[in-house]
Amino acid sequence: MSNKKTSLKDFSQKEGQLVNLDASKFLPLPPPYDKIEDLPTIKPLSESAQEKYECDLDGITAFKFPRPETDEEKKEMIEKFLSGLQKLFDREDNWTFMQPLFLTMEYCAKCQTCSAACPVYKESGGIDIYRPTYRSDILRRLYKKYVKGGGKFFSKISGNDIDVTWRMIARLMELSYRCTICRRCAQTCPIGADNGLVTRELRKIFSQEMGIAVEPLHKKGSVLQLQSGSSTGMTPAAYLDNIEFLEEEVEERVGMKFNWPMDKEGADILLIHNAGEFLAWPENPEAFAIILEKAGISYTLSSELVAYDGVNYGVWYDDVQFAKVALKHLAVAKKLGVKKIVLGECGHAHKALTVIADRVMPGELNVPRESSVTLLRDIIKEGRLNLDKSRNDEYHVTLHDPCNMVRLMGIVEPQREILRAVVNNFREMEPHGVHNYCCGGGSGFAITQDLNFPDWRHALSSRIKMRQILDTYQDIIGPEHKKYVCAPCSNCKGAIRDMFVAYNTFERCNMLYGGLVELIVNAMTDFDKEYIEWEWH
Amino acid sequence: MGLLQLLSYFAILLFIVVVTAKMVKIARMPLHLRWDLYPIPHEKGRGSYGGSYFEEVDWWTKPMNFSLISEISAMAKEIILVQSVYHNNRSLWIFSFPFHFGMYCLIGFMVMLVAGAIFQATGVVIGSDSPNTLAVIIFHLTKIFGLVGWVLSIIGGIGLFFSRLFRAEMRNASVISDYTNLLLLLAVFISGLAAAFTVDSNYVALRGFVQSLITLKPAGVLPGAVTVQLWLWAALMIYFPYTHMTHLFGKYFTYHKVRWEDAPNIKGSKIEATVNKALGYKINWSAPHIKTGATWAEAATEETAKDE
Repeated sequence: MSNKKTSLKDFSQKEGQLVNLDASKFLPLPPPYDKIEDLPTIKPLSESAQEKYECDLDGITAFKFPRPETDEEKKEMIEKFLSGLQKLFDREDNWTFMQPLFLTMEYCAKCQTCSAACPVYKESGGIDIYRPTYRSDILRRLYKKYVKGGGKFFSKISGNDIDVTWRMIARLMELSYRCTICRRCAQTCPIGADNGLVTRELRKIFSQEMGIAVEPLHKKGSVLQLQSGSSTGMTPAAYLDNIEFLEEEVEERVGMKFNWPMDKEGADILLIHNAGEFLAWPENPEAFAIILEKAGISYTLSSELVAYDGVNYGVWYDDVQFAKVALKHLAVAKKLGVKKIVLGECGHAHKALTVIADRVMPGELNVPRESSVTLLRDIIKEGRLNLDKSRNDEYHVTLHDPCNMVRLMGIVEPQREILRAVVNNFREMEPHGVHNYCCGGGSGFAITQDLNFPDWRHALSSRIKMRQILDTYQDIIGPEHKKYVCAPCSNCKGAIRDMFVAYNTFERCNMLYGGLVELIVNAMTDFDKEYIEWEWH
Repeated sequence: MGLLQLLSYFAILLFIVVVTAKMVKIARMPLHLRWDLYPIPHEKGRGSYGGSYFEEVDWWTKPMNFSLISEISAMAKEIILVQSVYHNNRSLWIFSFPFHFGMYCLIGFMVMLVAGAIFQATGVVIGSDSPNTLAVIIFHLTKIFGLVGWVLSIIGGIGLFFSRLFRAEMRNASVISDYTNLLLLLAVFISGLAAAFTVDSNYVALRGFVQSLITLKPAGVLPGAVTVQLWLWAALMIYFPYTHMTHLFGKYFTYHKVRWEDAPNIKGSKIEATVNKALGYKINWSAPHIKTGATWAEAATEETAKDE
């Protein structure tokens, strides 16, 4: 069985696992990871998991979808899928994305220019099912056969026919979770077709019509956020406890007390962090508290349900969940009477609330939103902080560009202006800016930690980021040099953290990751102690 | 009036009607959520590195700096030079560029044919020795556009056909119609070149036929090679609107209405009114977490309403 070519007939009908992943065929990494035996492996699912969950695509499961057993269940699955397919092309049900989807369905010329831009496809050594056009071609055939007039006849004569089986639907479900929606493919498409959008639209059929979604995104993600206040499960009371703890911790860390303004009506800014920061990287919101107070910025945090967690996972799989969370963020800002919302270091929260929410909000909830990166850049430019960039001299810093901030929002220079102001040893990855590569954790991958999905992520979707980082530091790759990968995004940090653990990067290369504000505070001359703690955490 | 003339009228009419209907259909689709993709060339001073107005603090209070020149320049590079293929798929660009550039020349060729036919209908002779200077220019431009167009589009078309056949990635992604589209185009181009080389080197017969279409008069007897070419043109015009080849027009939407569409929703704007209307649409999605049958506004504010 060759992974270089997988027919759609096999995709629809073949029993058992369609593709076997062979790590020896993946693209080799640079030193010190150039020996295959030193690389993390993809562990096969246990027999019980294989029996229980649908994993016939490539032996990996993100959805943990139990296989349908009876004919009725299979029939219902097909009917619901086809009903969802129709709704994708309905102007009321899918007004949100119907036009771009229609254009992608109609105009792809199958030139495969997108293939070379896809990190997963390239790093896998060219596994056919990971080709960006593979899933799009399936959706296109389904659209032509079931949505367009005379489709069944024309599909046959044009060679576009496709069999809809429960197996095909189950595999397509998993396949919609092998793309990080980084949209590099769309960026290179001469026609403007968007295979990343297709991934998201497929996920919408499963979530919005069939009620099937990846658990960390939906049940433990947007649903939990709307019910308890945060996708971390942190309730408002727990959040306030956390803030109290952070207040004490920052005092211990820098020897000064800082305010954490909470629910302050009439403040200029409502600052929204990704709540994961409070738990996993408290030094990040702490650094924000330090900078904003030192710069004399009028701001507040919120302790209202949802509003203390900037995440919006709907942006990856479900328009309705997306709109619910976005409108809640806006409603809280409106209630507090702030002039604007500023988003902390979280890429998808940036894009979700600043860009995409722009067209789901009723006029009265139109509160301006912007990135914290631009605010920080202006604070530094205006000289409102006492900085000495030589305080960061022991670190060799590179910048990971979160896709959501750069390619999908056009925020490219401010983070670089900041780094140039606070770091002497800064070096760019190649490619960077709007042509960057995803961390491998995009579209929900970073938070999907079940079964063997993280193994797949480390081996394939994050592989190109690992390659880029290693290439960037190749001349100083040994552990005698401290290397800091700056990733101003919680989601990217999560993916890079897990990748560094899997590759044992801290031990082998003395390489750590962190946010942008930590480097700013580390350069501030107000404190004697170093802010960055060079230890794995 | 002969069958070929009737077929030509039908093909032209069908082409115009179907392509227009398709473009109107796309244009009338609801305003989608923003899905911009950077770089956006019209971002003045920032387009070159992919920056946007989001790089400014309080961006909504500042003027939007729109650079029409940069946008037109990016469009020209993309349309004429097929720049994205050049940068991202160089080995295919070797064929894609002549193929597309050849077809632009053929569009120029057709414009010259029509212009020449109109001149002829008014009694002006089209030829290198015509007393009318414009007619001489039209004569020569027709020949240049024709020759360059036929040759480049044939070279490009053959290259693209074999690329599709022999490059594994392209072959895996291709279906019958991807090959037949190219074959039909090649048939048109080869027949055009063959007619020009054998029986109609100055396009006298072809121009005469176009004149007969314009003046609604019967066409004279055409050489066999020209007749074959015209039948193939008619077939292409009938077939074209139903294929992805209409990306010739559709690209306007994929670039200007999706990728480069970065207009913000400002209070009191037309976008705000359009969004408010869309929020009144009914949702029929039936997953358990969705309030099926409610409007988008009701479903999206369900959680907000609970707290109030």
